[in-house]
Amino acid sequence: MSNDSIRERLKASEETVETAEVSHGEHPVGDPTHSTHHSYHADLRNDPKRQKSAERAIATLFLLSVVGVVGFCATYVFWPFEFGEDGYEYYTPALGAFMALALLGIGAGAVLWAKTLMVDDETIQERHHLASADEDKVAAAAILKEGLEDTGLARRSLLRNSLLLGGLSLGALPVPLLFSLGRYQHKERALATTGWKQGSRLLDELGRPVKLGDLEVGGVKSVFPDVEGGRRMADSASLLIRMRPEDLKLRESRQEWVVDGHIVYSAICTHLGCPVKLYEQQTHHLFCPCHQSTFDAAAESKVLFGPAARPLPQLAIAVDDEGYFIAQGDFNEPVGPSFWERKPKYPQQPKTDDTNKGH
Amino acid sequence: MASITEKAAAGTGTWVDDRLGSANFVRRSLNKVFPDHWSFMLGEVALYSFIMLLLSGTYLTLFFEGSSREVIYNGSYTPLKGIPMTAAYASTLDLSFDVRGGLIMRQIHHWAALLFMAAIVVHLMRVFFTGAFRKPRELNWVLGVGLLVLGIVEGFAGYSLPDDLLSGTGLRIAYSIALSTPVLGTWVSFLVFGGEYPGGMIIERLYPIHILLVPGIILALISAHMGLVWYQKHTQFRGPGRTENNVVGSRLWPAMATKMVGFNMLVFGVLALLGGLFQINPIWLYGPYDASQVSAGSQPDWYVGFLDGSTRLMPNWELRFWDYTLSPNIILPTQVLPAVLFTLLALYPFIEAKLTGDKGYHNLLERPRDNPVRTGLGAMSISFYLLLLVAGGNDIVATIFHLSINEITYTLRAALFIVPPIVYVITKRFCLSLQRADDALLHHGIESGTIRRLPSGEFVEETVPLPPQYAVLLQTTPERKELAEHNAHRSDGPTPALAGSSPRGFFRPKRSPSDASPEGQKELEG
Repeated sequence: MSNDSIRERLKASEETVETAEVSHGEHPVGDPTHSTHHSYHADLRNDPKRQKSAERAIATLFLLSVVGVVGFCATYVFWPFEFGEDGYEYYTPALGAFMALALLGIGAGAVLWAKTLMVDDETIQERHHLASADEDKVAAAAILKEGLEDTGLARRSLLRNSLLLGGLSLGALPVPLLFSLGRYQHKERALATTGWKQGSRLLDELGRPVKLGDLEVGGVKSVFPDVEGGRRMADSASLLIRMRPEDLKLRESRQEWVVDGHIVYSAICTHLGCPVKLYEQQTHHLFCPCHQSTFDAAAESKVLFGPAARPLPQLAIAVDDEGYFIAQGDFNEPVGPSFWERKPKYPQQPKTDDTNKGH
Repeated sequence: MASITEKAAAGTGTWVDDRLGSANFVRRSLNKVFPDHWSFMLGEVALYSFIMLLLSGTYLTLFFEGSSREVIYNGSYTPLKGIPMTAAYASTLDLSFDVRGGLIMRQIHHWAALLFMAAIVVHLMRVFFTGAFRKPRELNWVLGVGLLVLGIVEGFAGYSLPDDLLSGTGLRIAYSIALSTPVLGTWVSFLVFGGEYPGGMIIERLYPIHILLVPGIILALISAHMGLVWYQKHTQFRGPGRTENNVVGSRLWPAMATKMVGFNMLVFGVLALLGGLFQINPIWLYGPYDASQVSAGSQPDWYVGFLDGSTRLMPNWELRFWDYTLSPNIILPTQVLPAVLFTLLALYPFIEAKLTGDKGYHNLLERPRDNPVRTGLGAMSISFYLLLLVAGGNDIVATIFHLSINEITYTLRAALFIVPPIVYVITKRFCLSLQRADDALLHHGIESGTIRRLPSGEFVEETVPLPPQYAVLLQTTPERKELAEHNAHRSDGPTPALAGSSPRGFFRPKRSPSDASPEGQKELEG
């Protein structure tokens, strides 16, 4: 800002000082004539020429809307829109641009109209007092009280108590209906079991059984139980990892759960159930992309970092006569996130009772 | 011509008034005065986004099929041809590729939801920092907090519907959070999902919740919210002629109403631009939901992000006792934290009134600096929220800045407890400095840049008194208890302006009496 303009502003404010008296009597917050409100309308009031040019500008904006609508319709009809056609990727942007033109034209025109040609002088309106007058409050309370006395609620204790009981019992009415919403029967068993069964082969994502030797050292594969719909079971997705047998650090009872450095974990995070699928072969770390829980795949997937509290359950595997991987049974503990009825300890052997889950 | 239209209008008006007696209401409504300020438009942005959500959403329901029935995709998006998926995902693909104008409506709908939530949050901050929630408007504040929570629920339900990989991941997390609820967890999660995840019912259930139940409640609450604004009349900032007992502004008819309609169209126009030109939620790139798949960098929509952040920062505490498991690592950041935050938020007007003992009506707004404690608390809360939001994208931050995700997490854990108090202190101090600067302006005037040398040799800067329309604002600001206390504790006494010297302190070197020594004078002269 130049020095001149600062001087002008200061001069202007000095003039206001001279001409204005701050009143503290009737209006504790001063005199409304010194409002900072700026009315463009007031500028244009006595200037027909500027009024005319404002009118033209507004009309132009309104007409742009017509252009937008015509463009939108033309794009809709004539522009190629099927996937793969030449220029189809511009179909939606073109529709959006024309739609925006139509809406912005009307909107900007209306705002400009209101700001230039319509009266928006500052007006003062009194607020009404929100609280009722005292006699109204007293009268309302009296009517309420009188009515309550008429009902005899206070005197007739039988009526009052039976109404209370009846009303409260209504609250229980929807409860049976809630039971229809979920299949609660055997819910603990549903949570504790997966699709894995004794002897079920490990299938890859395309449904092919995985054989010993399919995986290189350092390799990893998503595996699913060889049962009806096993590929889609949300609790059965698992991860087959191969590392050097000497890298595995397993407790004695789990030595028999692995085959030549091949180890299988549930892929369902013990935190919030996301698939834990990012494997770092140098460090043997398994990483959950949702909340960054990190597990050590070499050491029974011990939790190394993040909000998960428990290791991923491990699936005991073996190899059948034809050389394919099979499960020794179901996971020994529930997979996935924790829940109230989850027990602190589960037996350290694969579940081999042949339970059908009814997926 | 004009007379014919006038006659027709008069006739219609009379016809309606004979039956409804509407003239009195119309007269008062059209003459109603609204204070004008740019920050009052933030709530309007939310309202207009909501209208766009209803319009675009209604269009989408005509094509979307909220069903988890399995179909084989046979639409025109060739990369997914022949792949089994749910009808929900397939119909969303059809909306994106086979319905002319379907994609733009989908994208406008999603952008409108993001803008709706953003406008609500910014509007909430405006109401908070200006003290607009004080008596008599506490109830409207509570309604507003209800709308914020419902907006989050509605948004989550909405982006969970297409059954793409991202939405399915979010749903599984929601299921797991419900599952971790103490005692009732398995019942609640089975009730909502129909059985063990995925349960096969959730899309069928979310759909009516998303298009009927929650929007119906939101619509009712918005009506009540605006009805109360209308009935209690809008607050106004301090200004010449403005008191606690009046409203100074523009009449609704015609300029204000025209501006509102115009602004509505402008918001719609911006949404059309966003929906047309900026891709959002390209579900065809994510693929259909598969419980065994997840993509790295999975992120919820921004308004859920702070809860994802709290979940990521939480240490892995889990308690196992007798035959049960309790999971503070899940319930603290996902159930307890939002419950506490939103309860505190909803009760804030009552808490503040209780602590300050303020029982008066307030129709004049405060500037943030006028209330350093509240502004400090607000800034503190924003810093807490932003840290959680950053934590929700800690993997993205790690990728972009090549940092260790573990270190980011540890740092953010500590920052969550250290930063907000610091922000509180700094903000409060900043408000006090602004108040002192106000005082200086009021009592000392505007610096003119003109230096005058007095006969004694002293240099002084000439000042110009504050113009009355601004002076009156500062003279009438509420009592500044904190500033008085603050001044009493300062070594250099009250606000310098009050003492008649030039302003100094926070951003200027403190002057001690020795500054006025001959050496100092020489420097000035030289």
